[in-house]
Amino acid sequence: MIPLQVSPFQYVANGVVFSSIIVLAAIGLSLVYSIADFANFAHGDLMTVGAFSALFSVGFLRPMLGDAGVFGLPLWFFLALAFGMGAAAVISVITDRVVYQPVKGSDSIGLLISSIGVALVYRALVFLSFGTEPERYGVPRQGPIPWVRETLGIAVTPRNLVVVMLTVVLVTALHLTLTRTTLGRKMRATADNADLARVSGIRTREVIFAMWLIGGALAAAGGVFLGLEELVRPRMGFDILLIIFAAVILGGIGSVYGAMLGGLVIGMVHELVPLFNQWGIIPVGSRYAAAVAFVIMVAILLVRPSGIAGDSG
Amino acid sequence: MSAVSSWVSETLVRDATERRIFATLGLITVLLVVGVLTGVIGPRFLLFQIALVGMYALLSLGLNVQWGYAGLINFSVAAFWGIGAYCAALLTAPNSPLGLGLHPVFGFLAAIVVSAFIAVLIGIPTLRLREDYLAIASLGLAEVIRAIILNEDQWTAGSSGISGIPELLSWLPLTDAATTAAVVVFLIAVVYLFLRRVHRSPWGRVLRTIRSDEDLAKALGKNTYQFKMQAFVIGSVIMAIAGAFYAHLNLYIDPSDLVPLTTFYIWIAVILGGTGSNRGAVVGAAVVIAIREGTRFLNDIGFIQTLGVDLAPLRLLFVGGLIILIMRFRQDGLLPPKDELIWPAARDGSGAGGASASGAAPDGGTSSNGGDDR
Repeated sequence: MIPLQVSPFQYVANGVVFSSIIVLAAIGLSLVYSIADFANFAHGDLMTVGAFSALFSVGFLRPMLGDAGVFGLPLWFFLALAFGMGAAAVISVITDRVVYQPVKGSDSIGLLISSIGVALVYRALVFLSFGTEPERYGVPRQGPIPWVRETLGIAVTPRNLVVVMLTVVLVTALHLTLTRTTLGRKMRATADNADLARVSGIRTREVIFAMWLIGGALAAAGGVFLGLEELVRPRMGFDILLIIFAAVILGGIGSVYGAMLGGLVIGMVHELVPLFNQWGIIPVGSRYAAAVAFVIMVAILLVRPSGIAGDSG
Repeated sequence: MSAVSSWVSETLVRDATERRIFATLGLITVLLVVGVLTGVIGPRFLLFQIALVGMYALLSLGLNVQWGYAGLINFSVAAFWGIGAYCAALLTAPNSPLGLGLHPVFGFLAAIVVSAFIAVLIGIPTLRLREDYLAIASLGLAEVIRAIILNEDQWTAGSSGISGIPELLSWLPLTDAATTAAVVVFLIAVVYLFLRRVHRSPWGRVLRTIRSDEDLAKALGKNTYQFKMQAFVIGSVIMAIAGAFYAHLNLYIDPSDLVPLTTFYIWIAVILGGTGSNRGAVVGAAVVIAIREGTRFLNDIGFIQTLGVDLAPLRLLFVGGLIILIMRFRQDGLLPPKDELIWPAARDGSGAGGASASGAAPDGGTSSNGGDDR
């Protein structure tokens, strides 16, 4: 399908799709980092949980709805996405209540170590419920959209477009929530200074509740999109976690808009590695794509520890 | 004899909880010995397990220097262990891609030098920053190292692994299992005594200060970055030594053990044993081996096989649950450090006399509070 001589724009197009996934995941991770104040190592496995919850719902949604479709994808896929987002949101709130709140007495390091335990438990539960084999959502195969291929010479499938469009919708919705609503103002205030927020009458418990809901739902969306583009695997979230951390650090820890920017840059770099290799800029190929993204993160840390959009580190 | 018993009562059994823990451990030891004598457990199997516990204990001691003494979150334990194992395997195995077949001493030396070098490289960008940056960066480093070992098969033999690693000290008149067990006991003794000595030195006290309040250490004029770097390098070198030992224990190495789960096993060993406590690190390592081997034993029980449950995920669930429970209910671990920083002479009130005893007491206070300050 893809022409032998791959156009550089093809890599950029792939980069935009992959960046969308990273941006969605990075926002949630950044929210937790800024409001709950710890590095949540369970965030990758939360994506996996969301992706598998969606897979579970496909089992009953597909017979109910048949193959009616919108935007080139069957309707049941969109409902499964919503189901996965809801399930991950609920699970992350429950996790916070059961695991993180009781350890609150200790500082962020205790929570960080606990989150590793949570990550392992999530993954074990996915293994136990769905087995170890990679799965698919079963969305029918689609070729690239013909007119894009003819005009730009790159292969873009309808599902690529849906992933990017939905990401834009979700990110815009988050932006409006953060800037235009009372909840958003409370969240930004709590992220800025939790004690001050509490003193000025903000119920930080509610803010933290909302933060887990939003972060979990966005992580699940990223997980479902990743499963749609590649495969639904029990290790998919953990394998991508470092790239998400790279995006969050690159953007500046705790800054949601920085996380978006960082996700865009890291996702793009990840997909452009073969092109850079072709041009002779870097000596390694796509097998080291994650390593290149990670090295860029370390380089940024050296030059600008607070990240692109962060204030003081 | 009385010196031994007083040493035991001073260092091993100080309060009721610890006495219970050591009594349980003693009971398990007795059961194991009875098992060997009655022929239920093969002595060769037991010696191999002892060597494995020893290796985990070395790794835990290494992590304890970084996390327990200095508060550095290192998630690349598996990587430094792998560096050590691969240095030993590549230099000593005749059929490795390098094909050198050198004496094991060179393997250990290379493990020390290479791991120290890489520890400095990763420490330079991360040790100046917030502690959670090191957690993320070190996990990333571990994955990069695993990717390199997996993909550069012209040097590392990739996923097919390296076999034919020679045994250690094969001229000793012991069975190979007994020899490796003796070697690891020797290594642990050396590392343990070394760590106890440096921990009680002024260097160790500065590290404790950094762990509980880095700004305070800076205000006292200490170059905290240098101290953290030294702790990071020492810990990483100990992990690499454990890796080199493992290569000669297992006689085969491949990249599959370099996964982050190996790192988390060591973390459990350290926090379960008691962060900052070397005794705890050794006990924690034994518990972790018991978890791993215990779940493997379950596999052999017919009843569980008929259920058709895959046990690898159950082990994962168990490990994850254990981390959550420790962090919630017993953050200090089984054997929290009490007065490891105090010279025994100072505690007795003899030796250097009251001045040093009163000087040491506040330090002891800080160390026992260290767990709560975290």
